[in-house]
Amino acid sequence: MNGNDIDRRSFLKVMGWGGAGVALAGCDMPTTVTLEEGKETVVSYLMPEEYVIPGRGVWYASTCQQCPSGCGIHARVREGRVLKIEGNPSSPVNKGGLCMMGQASVQSHYNPDRITKPMMRSGGSLVEVSWDDALAALKTTTGEGAEGSKVAWLTGTVSGHQRVLLDGHLDALGTDKHFSYEVINGAVVRAAAKAVYGDEQPEYDMANASVVLSIGSDLLGASDSPMNYSRQYAEFRNAPRGTLVQVESSMSLTGGSADRWLAVRPGTEGTLAMGLANLLLSKHGKDGSGLSAATKAAISSFTVDVVVKETEMQAADVESLAQLLADKGANSLVVVGGVATGYSHGYQTAVASMLLNVILGSVGKTVKSAGGFPFEQLSAQAGSTGGLFEFTDSANKGDIDVVFVYGTNPVFTAPTSTGFADSFAKVPYKVVLSQFEDETTVLADLVLPLASGLEEWGTHVAAHQTAEKSISIQQPVMEKLYKETKGFGDVLLDLLKIRNEADFGKFDDYYAYLVSAFGALPADFKGGADDKTFWQNALSSGVVAVEASKADLSVAKVDVKVASYAKDASRPYNLTASARLGLWDGRYANIPWLQEAPDVISKAVWGSWVEMHPITANRLGVKTGDFVKVESEHGSIEVPVYAHRGVHPDAMAVPMGQGHKEYGRFAKGVGVNPLSILANAKDEQTGELALSSTRVNVSKVSFNEEDKMVRFGGSESQVGRKLVASIKADVFNRTEGA
Amino acid sequence: MSLENVLTNWSQYRKGHEEGGFHDYEHMWGLSIDLNKCIGCNACSVACYAENNLAVVGKDHFEKGQQMHWLRIERYWDEPDLAPGESDMYPTRGASFLPMMCQQCNAATCEPVCPVAATYHTPDGLNAQVYNRCIGSRYCSNNCPYRLRYFNFYSHYETSWPEPLNMQLNPDITVRDKGVMEKCTFCIQRIRSAKDTARREQRELVDGEFSTACAQSCPTSAIIFGDLQNKESKVAKVWDEHQVELGKTQQSKENPEKRGYRVFEALNTDPCVMYLERVREA
Repeated sequence: MNGNDIDRRSFLKVMGWGGAGVALAGCDMPTTVTLEEGKETVVSYLMPEEYVIPGRGVWYASTCQQCPSGCGIHARVREGRVLKIEGNPSSPVNKGGLCMMGQASVQSHYNPDRITKPMMRSGGSLVEVSWDDALAALKTTTGEGAEGSKVAWLTGTVSGHQRVLLDGHLDALGTDKHFSYEVINGAVVRAAAKAVYGDEQPEYDMANASVVLSIGSDLLGASDSPMNYSRQYAEFRNAPRGTLVQVESSMSLTGGSADRWLAVRPGTEGTLAMGLANLLLSKHGKDGSGLSAATKAAISSFTVDVVVKETEMQAADVESLAQLLADKGANSLVVVGGVATGYSHGYQTAVASMLLNVILGSVGKTVKSAGGFPFEQLSAQAGSTGGLFEFTDSANKGDIDVVFVYGTNPVFTAPTSTGFADSFAKVPYKVVLSQFEDETTVLADLVLPLASGLEEWGTHVAAHQTAEKSISIQQPVMEKLYKETKGFGDVLLDLLKIRNEADFGKFDDYYAYLVSAFGALPADFKGGADDKTFWQNALSSGVVAVEASKADLSVAKVDVKVASYAKDASRPYNLTASARLGLWDGRYANIPWLQEAPDVISKAVWGSWVEMHPITANRLGVKTGDFVKVESEHGSIEVPVYAHRGVHPDAMAVPMGQGHKEYGRFAKGVGVNPLSILANAKDEQTGELALSSTRVNVSKVSFNEEDKMVRFGGSESQVGRKLVASIKADVFNRTEGA
Repeated sequence: MSLENVLTNWSQYRKGHEEGGFHDYEHMWGLSIDLNKCIGCNACSVACYAENNLAVVGKDHFEKGQQMHWLRIERYWDEPDLAPGESDMYPTRGASFLPMMCQQCNAATCEPVCPVAATYHTPDGLNAQVYNRCIGSRYCSNNCPYRLRYFNFYSHYETSWPEPLNMQLNPDITVRDKGVMEKCTFCIQRIRSAKDTARREQRELVDGEFSTACAQSCPTSAIIFGDLQNKESKVAKVWDEHQVELGKTQQSKENPEKRGYRVFEALNTDPCVMYLERVREA
C-alpha cells in the first residue's frame, strides 16, 4: 500500500470485503515493516489499515489471466501486497493445480517495465498524456462524429462480462469488426470436431481411457487446458495404468511422458491415422458403418507399406499400435492437435484422426459432449490466426479507420510473410491497450495503460469447457501499483460512455457494472440468496457454478482426403515453431522466472535453440552448441543447435517466444523469433495459418558468443546410477492394482 | 585414519545414527514424489522461486552454474533399469524427469563439514542453514552428493528484483546476500506458521493443513508432503506402502516390486525424500 495514497473506502470496495477466502496465519508477531518507497516506518503498523493484520497473509480468490484456459487462483496478500499465487481447489478447470505461467503472474504484475501513464503519438514519438486527453482523443476518433463502422477491435481471447461490454461497444458503433487472434489456438481441431462429432469442443475423458493416442497434441503443455489434462493424466496413470502413445515430429512436454514416443515425418500424421483406420477395419474387424463410402474407399488404399513409406515409421510400430487400439476398443481415446494440424492439409489430418474414435466406438465413451454453456454471450471467443487474416484483409481494403488492440501482440507473432506490419500501418489511428511496451504498442497512436490481471475486476469463462461449467470471478487483490492504469473492463466502459451514455453512464466504474450485472441474474440462479450474499459468495469462492445445457454428439459421415508427402530438394527440412508451456507465444518472455526456468526438453535458458536429430546434425557437420542458419523463403534466423533423438531427421524445431525487439529489459534482444520466417501457407479448409509447414534450408555458421546456448546440467545420461528408476507397467498393475 | 583402520571398521562407518544418537524428533518432514505422475512441467520449480525469494541470476551466471533453483527438474534420455529399447534412433520411451530438491538427509554429509555449524539438524529432522552464521566456506556444497546447495557468489538483489519486483518478496523469509550458502528448507516458513497456529489454537498439527509450495502447485499431485513420524499422515502411508524406511542404507522390502526408493541411499545419507519409480509400458 502506498501509505497516504490509500482511501480506505475505495480500498474496501476494491478488495470486495467478504471476499476473503482461506486465511492462513503468519508468525505470531509482525517482524517486518513497510518496504515501499524505500522507507521503513516502524509506526505504520501501530495503526494498521483496517482489515490488515500485520504478519498475516490473506488469500483472495480470483482468475488467472495468463492464458485462455481460465484457471481459478488464490492470491496471497500480506500487508497489502500480493506475494504468491496458487490454484483454487474450487475451480473446475484446475482444481488446485497451477502451471508455471500462472505461478509467475506476480512477475507480470510487479514487472518493472509496466506502462504507467497513457501515451499519445506526437511528433513521431509517444508522449505521456493524461486520461482526460486520451479520452478526448478517443471522443474525436470514435465519438458521434466518427464513422462507427470503420472502428475495429483486434484482441486475444475475451470472455465474460468484458465480452458483453466489447460486444456492446461494437453495437454502439454499428460495426461487427471484432477480430480475435491467437497464434497458439485449436481452430483447425475445433473445425474438424464440429464436422466429425457435431461439437466444436467435445470433452475428452482421458482419466478413464485405457489408451490415449495423441497425434501431435501437447495436452499437458501448450494445449487449450493444460491443468485440466494434467489432472486427468494423474488419474489415467493410476492402476490399471493407461498407455500414452505420442506421435509427433519433435518431442513435446507430453511426448516426454509417453510410453511409446513415435517419430513421424513432418506432415504425414494424417497418413498414419488413415493407415491405422485401415488396419482396424481390415485386420481387426472393427465396424466401419460410421464412415462414408468415399472415406472407406480412401482408407483402404493406406496399406502398411504406404504408411511406412510416407511416415518413415517402422511397420512393427504401426501394427502394434493398431493392435493396442483394437484391444482397448472403445476405451481408447485419439486426440489430435498442435504441430500435426499445422499444415495445408491440417484439417484433413484432424478429421482422419478423429475418425479413429468413430471406428473404435469411443465417441460417447471417451469422447463426450461437454454440454452447452447457458450464457452464450459470456462464453469465450476463442482466437485464431483466421482472425488475423480477416483483419489484414479489412485493413488493406481501407475499411478500418481506428483499431483497438488488446491482449495480443500481432507485430511480434505474425509472420513477416503475412504482410501484417504493412496492413497495420495502413490503419490511420491505432489504439493499443497494454501493460507493456511490446512490438505492437510502440507503433500505436494512443497507448492506454492497463492494470495487471491482479488489479482489475472481471468475469471469465474458460475457453476450454468441461461438463462442469462455471463463471470464474476476477477481483483485484491489491491496490493498483500505478494510479493511472485502468482495468480492461473500465476502459471498455469509458469507450461505451463515449457512444452510449444513456445505457452505461449510470455506472461509475466496471465494479459497479459487475455488481449490477450479478444483481440482474435470474433469481433461481442465485439459489435463494439475496443479491449481496450471492455476490459475496461469488467473490469468496471465486467461481459461480452454472448448470450445463444439454447437448449430444452426433457423428457425421465426413469425407477425408489425406495428401501425400511433398519433397522439396532445395529446402529439405521442415521448420516447426514449437509452442511451450513457459514463454507461450512470447507474451511471457518478460518474466525472469520463466526465462530462467530450463526448457523441458533442451534444458536451455535465456535464449533460443533449434532441435534436430543427431543424424541431421552429423550431416550438417554440427554438434550441440554450434550455430546454424535456418533459412526459409521469407528470411533466416541464426540459432545454436540442440541435437537429440526426439526429433525426426527431416524436422527442425525452434520454440517460439523469444526474439523480442521490444518488451522490456528481460525480453529484449534475447534469442530469435521463428515465427518471423514462417511461410504464409494456410490450411485449405479453415484458412488457418499452417504453422508447421514452412520448408527451410539449414547450414552451419560461425559461433556467436552473445547468443550461445546456456543449459542446465551437463549429463544427458544417468550413467547407470539409480536416479530415475523405471519399472514396467505390468509390475505396477500387479502391485498397485485395486 | 589409516587405510587399515578404514577397512577394519568399514561396517561401522557412519552408521551411528542407525544404532542410537538423537532420535527424539518432534517431527520428521518428508516427501514422496511419484515419477509415474511427474510430467516435468516446472510448475513446482517456479512455485519455489515465488515462495522462497530465489534470485534470478541471468544467463552469464547460469552458465557458470551459479543459478539458485532450489528445486530443479533433471531430464535424462536413458532408462538404465529397463532393457534397451528397440530403437537406437529415437527415445521411444520418452524422457525421464526427476524433480530434485534438498533431500533433508538425516545423516547429512553437508553438516559435519561446516566449520561454523551454520548447517545443522533441527528437531524437525530438517537440514537447516543458518544464513547469518554462514561464512561461505562452501565445504557443505562440495560434500553434497546431490549438488543441492546453492552459493551466492554475488549479490543478486539489484538485478533480480528491480523495483517494484521487490514488492513480491516473501516477508516470511530472508533475501540472501553475497557469500551465503542457501538451499531448500521444505518451506520452513510454512511449517513455522502452521506450528504457531496450532499452538495458538492449542491443538496438534493436522496432516494436510499446510504443504510446501512445490507439493501445493503440482498439477498431477505427484508430490506429497507431510510428517513421517505421524503414522496417519498421507506421506507416511505412502512410505509404508512402498516399504521404504528411514535409517537404512539398503531397504529390505517384503515385496521388492514396490516402487519406493531413495536416490543414493547406499551412500548412507538417509534422505527424507522418497521417489516412486517411473513406469513405462515396456
